[in-house]
Amino acid sequence: MRPKPILKFLDNIESYICQILLVFFVCLLFLQIVLRIVFTAIDSLSHYISFLELYPLPASLPWGEELSRFAFVWFVFFGATYAARLAAHNRVTFQFKIFPKIVGDISTFIADIVWIIFNCIMVYYSINVIKEGFEFREYSPTLDWIMAYVFMIFPIAFSLMNIRIIQVNVMKYILKIEIEDVDKVDTSNPDDETPESGVTS
Amino acid sequence: MSVTAVIFLTFVGLLVIGSPITLSLGAAAMGGMIFSGKPLEGLVEIAYTSVNSFPIMALPAFILSGALMESAGISRRLVAVAEAMAGPFTGGMAASTVLSCLFFGAISGSGPATTAAVGMLMIPAMVRHGYDKGYAGAITSSSGGLGVVIPPSIPMVIYGVAASQSIADLFIAGFIPGVMLAVGLLGMNYIRSKQKKYKGDGKELSVKTVMETMKDGFWALLTPVIILGGIYTGFFTPTEAAIVSIFYTLFVGIFIYKELELKGAMKALESTTWITGRVLIIMFTALAFGQLLTINKIPDLIAQGLLNLTDNLYMIWALIIFFLLFMGMFMETLATIMLVTPVLLPVMISLGVDPIHFGVVLVCCCEIGFATPPLGENMFIASGVANATLEEISVNALPFVFVSILVVFLIAYIPSLTLWLPELLNNLFQ
Repeated sequence: MRPKPILKFLDNIESYICQILLVFFVCLLFLQIVLRIVFTAIDSLSHYISFLELYPLPASLPWGEELSRFAFVWFVFFGATYAARLAAHNRVTFQFKIFPKIVGDISTFIADIVWIIFNCIMVYYSINVIKEGFEFREYSPTLDWIMAYVFMIFPIAFSLMNIRIIQVNVMKYILKIEIEDVDKVDTSNPDDETPESGVTS
Repeated sequence: MSVTAVIFLTFVGLLVIGSPITLSLGAAAMGGMIFSGKPLEGLVEIAYTSVNSFPIMALPAFILSGALMESAGISRRLVAVAEAMAGPFTGGMAASTVLSCLFFGAISGSGPATTAAVGMLMIPAMVRHGYDKGYAGAITSSSGGLGVVIPPSIPMVIYGVAASQSIADLFIAGFIPGVMLAVGLLGMNYIRSKQKKYKGDGKELSVKTVMETMKDGFWALLTPVIILGGIYTGFFTPTEAAIVSIFYTLFVGIFIYKELELKGAMKALESTTWITGRVLIIMFTALAFGQLLTINKIPDLIAQGLLNLTDNLYMIWALIIFFLLFMGMFMETLATIMLVTPVLLPVMISLGVDPIHFGVVLVCCCEIGFATPPLGENMFIASGVANATLEEISVNALPFVFVSILVVFLIAYIPSLTLWLPELLNNLFQ
């Protein structure tokens, strides 16, 4: 029974990364706002107190906005792979209602194969872009980071997404685990415990 | 076969076989690029630029603050105020639902979230007071859409980014249309309640109870003042306002109402991650799709086609509204906005329509789409809460959909309804 906690952790890893990134950029942006207000206050005081004029202040953290945007980009694409794990990506499915269930199953299975191919192509070309990015280095304006590092999210996210798509299909058709509709959860009583469906359960 | 045909066939084909909307758009764009011999590295660049934007960060921030407000006890108090104000009238419980959605719309930017927050409190209460559960579900899912018309609004953030328009202006512009929609719904509710003999909640309308609930809900009622006041005075950008509202909610929930628990906060964080992820990856593929359409001059073709049909702006508005309502029946809201904006906005601009005006009409049409089957997000939620079938709710929702469409036509035909307020405020705070 040892591997269970590890598997559960791996099953939710994108979610954990995402939550950390979300808390990080939300706090960073809040700090930006607070600093902006404080700095403007000091700035207007400096007209009266000559001592303060010796230390000119920036509008806020100069690199704050850029760092939060980078965190946000990573957050979005990790979030998208987590959404793939939850099978939460919106599909148009009402047309399957008039057919037996098997038609919808086969058809979405084919769609998922197309999705995997699409992601593979994205991985291939994003690696190309990163390689180029290291050859002809482009730096971010305020943090001075090599942009290719920021682009690393694309091969990571699109390959993880493929793993999640395969995982969901394995769970659905081989392990016969019912994948719950995450959009339904919203309607339940917020105090209810939402049952978690791990890989191993 | 032309590039256009490749794009549209891939898009529709993939959509029909039940692939995610993001893939349908992305694969169509990819197919079009391969077909016309463009390097696919461009797609990676679009993936980056599509989400590397400060305004769009308002989206997760508003989703997170909305989710937190529920656990913080803010929504409950807003509903109590609405109930004290509208409860005693004919069809009072349903009227309080509309009013609650109006209040809640001013702190939340999402239609389904508004439906869930208000519905979980009001639908059981309505059923207890003898309302038909289909009717209770219908009024909630119809008025839940107010959440996206009354500022702040997540669809308006998306439109503002997709159309490069000022999100603050859109927020101001949505105010009067949102109130008009609410008045329309209240009026229709009054007529229907008379027919169905739904009475008030039996309590007397008293200034005292209203004042008491307002006092209890003071900190909750202050939320929209901070968010909207901050944006309208130009003190905060919409993104900053959303961030501030997160911390304000945390503060109120932890220190004043003392209802926010760690579990609720963690759940809010978790749901924000995947909701943002799945929406904004559509942003990437929709942007790629839209750019390809623009390069291939599809918007021009559509504009030409429309003008060949009629050059009467009122007729064109009518066509576009019905088209959007039709799209809203089948497509997810934000995907609809990202898809139609690059195609229809240039058309409307060339006809002399203000982009802000078009955005508000577009968002209002999506608002109706929340409550129209087969894909109506609000309806799904309301049917879950009310324990009613989609059919029961759809039938009862028809009069509300009808009155909402009437209001949308008014908004489309009288541009000053949307454009007057932003102009006024912009002059005021210059």
